[in-house]
Amino acid sequence: MSMNKDLSQIRAAAQQLHGAISDAAAKRGGAVRADLEAVGQKAKAVTESVKASIGVQNDATKKHLKEAVTDLEGVQKHVAEALKNSGHAFQGSIRKTLADARASVQKVSEAVAAKRFAESTKTH
Amino acid sequence: MHNYIAVIFDGTGKAYKGLHALWQLDAEGDITVHGTTVVHRDDLGQFQVDTKETHPALATAVGVGVGALLGALAGPAGAAIGAAGGASIGAAAGGAVGLTTDLVRADSRDQARDETAFVLSAGQSAVIADVSEDSTLAIDSRMRELGGIVRRRTWSALRDDAWFGAYLPSYYLYPYEYIPPAYL
Repeated sequence: MSMNKDLSQIRAAAQQLHGAISDAAAKRGGAVRADLEAVGQKAKAVTESVKASIGVQNDATKKHLKEAVTDLEGVQKHVAEALKNSGHAFQGSIRKTLADARASVQKVSEAVAAKRFAESTKTH
Repeated sequence: MHNYIAVIFDGTGKAYKGLHALWQLDAEGDITVHGTTVVHRDDLGQFQVDTKETHPALATAVGVGVGALLGALAGPAGAAIGAAGGASIGAAAGGAVGLTTDLVRADSRDQARDETAFVLSAGQSAVIADVSEDSTLAIDSRMRELGGIVRRRTWSALRDDAWFGAYLPSYYLYPYEYIPPAYL
């Protein structure tokens, strides 16, 4: 499997994570909490995938992936906070979780672009 | 190049074909798409952003942010009036709307309205996207085939726009292909 394909798969996983959080945020009551528990596990798995891919990348790609790890760790942190909180604090944690999830997809996507750019300059 | 684009279409169906084509170009590795959304301007001139049902605060941010982004693609003066138009989409008002209201200065309002109308006329739809592209050729030629008109500004130019400040425009766009069930 090529490294580009690996990164594309990681991006797809991060996109699914964002979608799951966005869908969970639209729900009310207990359904949100049940979904958030699953999101926390998924965020951890995506974080590990990104970390594992960093070593084999070029510097520009690495930079974006390291930023993505920071955002994904933020997702895990805010999900954990949301599960402990209620009311306004809960809603605040959900918003932060969504923002960090969106940011993490952006960083992984920019890593994909950096990787593709590096590959295209090699072949031209 | 990291760019923001608006591709204007006559009709919602064509806009969704354009959206799909963008993600197809990404899958083929010709470009990298970081986020997209589809916007309409109704016959009364109001923006409508196709979004999922989500957190109310996010819905407001999406309306404000995407409206501003559309306006910014017309030029700096368009961002604030675009935001004000987009703000009407959100369920809650909040600080973001107050912020944009401060920035909609009377002396620029008419010009900004003209600029955003130039980008998206009543009854038209647009795909807004954040993309990385080595050349503008892939998007321009594919969108032309589908009847779309591409407008483009660099990420750095948008980042430097006073309106956005700490807000990154991409955060209002879906990081994947999202088509509302009504259009499937």
